[in-house]
Amino acid sequence: MIGSTHNLKQLFGRFRISALLILCSTLISCSSLSTITIEGSYPSPLISPLPLTLGIIYNDTFSTYSFTELDEYSGEDQYIINSGSSQVALFNTILPAVFSEVIYLNSADEAADYPDLDMVFEPTIEEFQIGLPQKTRLDVYEIWVKYNMRLSAPDGNSIADWVMTAYGKSPQSNFGSVDAGVNEAAVEAFRDLAATFSLGFTSIPEVNAWLQINNVL
Amino acid sequence: MKHHTLSIKAACLICFLIILSACTTTEIDQFRQSDTEIHEGESIVILGRRQSNAYETELDFVECVGNVVASGSDGINVIPESTFLDAMFPFFEPRTAPMRTDHLAQLMAQDIAVEKLEEFGIEYIVWLDGQTQRSGESGSISCAVGPGGGGCFGFGTWTDDSNFEAEIWDMDTLTSAGAISADANGQSYLPALILPIPLLARVESNVCSGMGKQLKSFLNGSV
Repeated sequence: MIGSTHNLKQLFGRFRISALLILCSTLISCSSLSTITIEGSYPSPLISPLPLTLGIIYNDTFSTYSFTELDEYSGEDQYIINSGSSQVALFNTILPAVFSEVIYLNSADEAADYPDLDMVFEPTIEEFQIGLPQKTRLDVYEIWVKYNMRLSAPDGNSIADWVMTAYGKSPQSNFGSVDAGVNEAAVEAFRDLAATFSLGFTSIPEVNAWLQINNVL
Repeated sequence: MKHHTLSIKAACLICFLIILSACTTTEIDQFRQSDTEIHEGESIVILGRRQSNAYETELDFVECVGNVVASGSDGINVIPESTFLDAMFPFFEPRTAPMRTDHLAQLMAQDIAVEKLEEFGIEYIVWLDGQTQRSGESGSISCAVGPGGGGCFGFGTWTDDSNFEAEIWDMDTLTSAGAISADANGQSYLPALILPIPLLARVESNVCSGMGKQLKSFLNGSV
């Protein structure tokens, strides 16, 4: 009798430990934070380059850009999306195709060291939004990015300052994980930006006017 | 013994009826606007339309149709979609792709783009647009696992409905050569008695096969 009571206590003790472990693992999985680093390759645009030397500045905020998506119920960080290095890779692919020469600058002050510079370009990200299927009830992962593009003369005078948006989506059914789906949507968004930038750059009114005044077009 | 034989016959009849009803109905329609032919060394590319926010033509479906068109002794050389999109970047992206044949003239005004198209030997561009939608999902299946084993019990059913259209653009005349549409639907069943037995209607694969064969015949000028 004593033996069977001991066995029951042992069994109950094991059950409590198992229940505690299950509860802990459930809580951990519910509050888990996932970091997604966007990785992708971008084709070089098939366009004729403008005969210009461009200085490009990637400020620290841009080159290390990170977006945090909060959990709508707990308000805690749910996903951290690091896209800075991928955005730099994107512009490093687009710009050498759009301009005949590209010079990388650390700051606007360095422009004075390059007498052949025609213009200085500095992209910034104003907004970054993510659409997850569990929140939007759509079958796609979505990424939307709003950029501010600043183009100035080497002396610092503004040539143009305009906004561009990029959108990318990827079907949920194609990907087994949120990370892969978000990555693909971001790569699509960056491709979208590359396409519209490379085809539409000379059509931006202020840019077009500058190009005409300087006999580039 | 007689009762046992009757039960087997009834089970066979039920299975037969279920298999019959899991079949897919496919309808292919073709509209031709001009003659088409493909010579040796010429190629086509099949591209999926992805400009809609609500859906996008699946990469797998585009690849499947391409494989059907490229297969057999009368197969046509099909440039893989991703290879073409990367090589022609940024002209065929969702936001920049020509939506109508009138827009082709703008593309062909760019020498660099024309050179690349000639390099590929592209004679026709085929735009695929469509999706497969699932509806009428009903039933439920419960599965349990115990020390002595596990099993499932229940019944599930759903309907798949595929609608796709292929528009064929002639790159010599920069006009539409015609269009092929394919509609299919089918009911799938998933009865589970210890093990789930999927009786799936192969809706999208039937559309892929039908669309691919019709497209091949269309481009070869045989229909």
